[in-house]
Amino acid sequence: MSRDPGRRRERLDRGIKARSDDIFAIASIRDLAYVLLPRLLAVLALLAFPLLEAVVSPYWQTVILNTLVIALLALSWDLLASAGLVSLGQSLFVGAGGYAAGFLNARLGLSPLWTIPLATVGGAAISTGLLFPLLRLRGIYFGMITFALPLLLMRVIETTGFLGGTEGLHGLTPLPGRTAELYLMTAAALVTIVAFRRLAATDYGLVFRAIRDDDRTVLAAGFHIQWRKAQAVLLAALPACFAGAFVTHRFQFVGMTAFALDYSILPLTSAVVGGAGSFLGAVMGSFILVPLSEVMREFGSLRVVLYSLMLLLFTVVLPEGIFRLLVRKYGQFERLAPLPEAGRGR
Amino acid sequence: MSESILASTLVYGFVNSVALMLTALGFSLTFGLSGVANFAHGGLYLLSGFLAWMLIHWLKLPFPLAALATVAAVGALGAVLYRVVLRPVRGIVLSEVISTFAVGVAIIELFRWKGFTTYDFSLPVFVEGGVEVFGVSLDWHRVCIVGIGLGLTALLWAFTRFTSTGLALRGMSQNESTALCLGIDSDWAAMLSLALGSALAAVAAIALLPLGIISINTGYDALLVALAVTVLGGLESTPGMMVGSFLVGYATVLTGNTIGPRWNEVVYLLAIVLVLGLKPSGLFGRSKELEDRV
Amino acid sequence: MSARLFLASMSALAFLAGCRKEESAKDAPIVLGVPTALGTIEGQDSLRAAQLAVSEINAAGGLEVGGARRKLEIASIDTREAEAGLPVNDALAAMEKLVGEKKPAAIVVGAFRSEVLLSAMDLNARYKLPYLCTIGMTPEFEKKIAAGYDKYKYHFRLGLNAPYLVGNLGKALDYVHKKLGLDKLYFVHQDVGWAKGTAAGVAKAAQAAGWTVVGSDAYPTGSRDFSSSLTKVKAGKAQVVVPIFDMPESGVLVKQARSMNVTALFAGFISPAAPGTAWSTFNGEIDGLVNFVFEAGPIPLKTPRSLHFNEAYGKAYGEEARLKLSGHGPGPSYDAVFVLAEAIKRAGSLDADAVVAQLEKTDMEGAIGHIVFNKNHQAVYGEDPKQAAASLAFQWRGGKRVVVYPESAAESPIEVAAK
Repeated sequence: MSRDPGRRRERLDRGIKARSDDIFAIASIRDLAYVLLPRLLAVLALLAFPLLEAVVSPYWQTVILNTLVIALLALSWDLLASAGLVSLGQSLFVGAGGYAAGFLNARLGLSPLWTIPLATVGGAAISTGLLFPLLRLRGIYFGMITFALPLLLMRVIETTGFLGGTEGLHGLTPLPGRTAELYLMTAAALVTIVAFRRLAATDYGLVFRAIRDDDRTVLAAGFHIQWRKAQAVLLAALPACFAGAFVTHRFQFVGMTAFALDYSILPLTSAVVGGAGSFLGAVMGSFILVPLSEVMREFGSLRVVLYSLMLLLFTVVLPEGIFRLLVRKYGQFERLAPLPEAGRGR
Repeated sequence: MSESILASTLVYGFVNSVALMLTALGFSLTFGLSGVANFAHGGLYLLSGFLAWMLIHWLKLPFPLAALATVAAVGALGAVLYRVVLRPVRGIVLSEVISTFAVGVAIIELFRWKGFTTYDFSLPVFVEGGVEVFGVSLDWHRVCIVGIGLGLTALLWAFTRFTSTGLALRGMSQNESTALCLGIDSDWAAMLSLALGSALAAVAAIALLPLGIISINTGYDALLVALAVTVLGGLESTPGMMVGSFLVGYATVLTGNTIGPRWNEVVYLLAIVLVLGLKPSGLFGRSKELEDRV
Repeated sequence: MSARLFLASMSALAFLAGCRKEESAKDAPIVLGVPTALGTIEGQDSLRAAQLAVSEINAAGGLEVGGARRKLEIASIDTREAEAGLPVNDALAAMEKLVGEKKPAAIVVGAFRSEVLLSAMDLNARYKLPYLCTIGMTPEFEKKIAAGYDKYKYHFRLGLNAPYLVGNLGKALDYVHKKLGLDKLYFVHQDVGWAKGTAAGVAKAAQAAGWTVVGSDAYPTGSRDFSSSLTKVKAGKAQVVVPIFDMPESGVLVKQARSMNVTALFAGFISPAAPGTAWSTFNGEIDGLVNFVFEAGPIPLKTPRSLHFNEAYGKAYGEEARLKLSGHGPGPSYDAVFVLAEAIKRAGSLDADAVVAQLEKTDMEGAIGHIVFNKNHQAVYGEDPKQAAASLAFQWRGGKRVVVYPESAAESPIEVAAK
């Protein structure tokens, strides 16, 4: 837009947004629809998708499954980031949950009904335990550690041959059918989204954001930072370990590649593209990125190049993320307004 | 351990330590001077190797010319990296790390996609032949590496202590606002430190890659080595980095000769994890403890 | 608002349309799927060998299936399994994509890495497609088929497996021990299942035959520094080093050995030292190295089929490609297409169970020798190319690859340079 000195750009709430804010939405069906429809449509689409089995090819069902797995990891990343912990190694949780499920299934013979919940909680406990002493670190040190830890675990498993070594554990019990898998993941994703958003709105969630903004002040207020961070890690680890356990049973296999870099880069990119901090942004980012990367599968490593470039672009140029951009456009519009003349009150 | 294994461990351990130091030099310099953790270090290292290879094999340039051109080009690239990618997010640690990490991954995976994965990619050694050191046969190239590594470290130490540019950079890293008051431009200082760091990565690549082949995973390994050594030794501390590289270098060779080479990489990673857990500012780091952890 | 609603519904419909299942036509070509690590030389060369076979069959008029002649077509996908940063599940997802979109009638070449192969078997057991693998070498493959025949009967392997490799290495070492009098051995291998198993198997057999095993080191995939092993080789005065690697970085072992003045005989498998162009890549440093070609083809047997494959590959892809042929994968991949074509012809249909029953009865000549399967669906390997499939070993001498094993195909026995 041209720089007209007599005007400035301003953003105003749309009429319908102003009318449907708060309880006033129930005044008219149109206002109610404005508020509810986007969420309702998204949730209904997710819930109805598995029922379209007759029309949709199994390949796209797989794509949506993968998307949901990455969405869970991205949500977990987002929670950690909202507490100031930048994780460059989400694959740690995937590996912890995956191996826990693999161990319970292969060595103890439990069915997925038991292994998945146990692995979710157990894997989260183990990962939090591993990270606990390192939670006192600030800034980029946490990033470095999360980058190094999955690689370390991968090498340890490779060299000790523990839990299957390089060959991994395979022939594990599969899940009962595609539809069950889709519904399980959809339910997990929806529960996580609701839980995390609710959490962010409570006082408890407020403490996390305070730690991110200025932890020494929070320390001065009497909170034990390390404990609080540990709780954040535990909560964030739950959906991520669930995703790991799920993937283990879906492919009937878990190996050291559960700690692979791909599981760390993809959620990170999804969350940044969608908009770090708003949990729905992470989900939206994964719904954009994962199908895109599947379409580009023919191009091999080029897709990793492309997501790194997208990550770069969004971090540097568009840090707000797509989701926040869309929300802003949905609720506000921009216009050029004349500046008030000097001397005249407003 | 038999006598010749001991001698070999000492000699190869020394060479390995200097090699690690050389790899980490660029990263540590950038981190120490401008506070930017350049996670693209590994990508730049790999890029230098392939660029030198392309200049030698496609443009048929003689090796010294190709080496110089590569160092200059990658140094310039480092400056561009700062200007385009880091300057908009300067100060936001999260974004700096993610953006440099993304650049690094993009470079490495681009080469993988282009198919630079076979054995054909290798750089020539500087001097053929070998020499006997303490009864251990060592090739001349490794001797050159030791020379370059130690020489470069000494040069940089002198640079940051006795030249005005070097002093300006150090001043900027010690206290940014005072340096600004004295007329040292923060952006220029950061750009210079990034350019220097990248050029050093290029030098390390050209010196170290002839020992083997230019394999794509070297990109990630170089970054890990740089992280391990820098974290172990501490920031803003050249002696710390040297001690760090010697510790990790000898630990690796010792493990390889006694327990088994499969544990080599575990050593680096364990080093990072342990040091960050016990003393994050590193063995010789002078950062205040509260800066690093709560 | 209405314009947006229209746009949104249109995009939703477009999305659904894109996901729609596809119908298959009666005369459509028969698709053979190739999901493997196309970024490796074994994968690339195997794909090309399979494509060569397909084009030969099509040129002869196509494949006869129940009265109609249909053309064959290859659909490939890069599973990127050989990359260090890739989760196995990603490789399996690539295979799922291939099967879901291209609807192949069978899969050839198969997985590159052993762990992917074993998991792919579980996945394929759901699809019930004939699966002819040629690269993955783990003996677990046969154990799985033996333990669950009904579930896994669709899987066959034409490539060499680790136990046979152990046998070959053992016999070659026997010759070196008895005729050349060497007796100190050192193993340097990759830290993956098939290599570890091979090293352990050969070590056991060697010790029983009278060798002293000075040491055995495992290196993780991607390692580039072998100086610790070479130091121990020199210290222990080992006379023979057995390298077992499938990663390109293994070429560094030879380089380092030269610079450290290690004079031992190298006899094993180093993938970069196998192709015909390796002499110039290594600047002659590999003189005296004995390398195994897992399946004949890249170096042909003196049989018409084998020679034909070698020549045709050179004609189709160029002389340099022929010289650079990888020692593991292309030979059996070429044969796999013909084996499958024969089985389909005899079965008279594409029904998986019928084809599998015919595959088990396979008894034909191929580039790798004589092809028959044992009861666990592994191609039988042996020394006589008229009775079984064969591996070869050659020694680099003055720029040439001289076949030294097996005795029936050898031009000259293994030599050790006097130093």
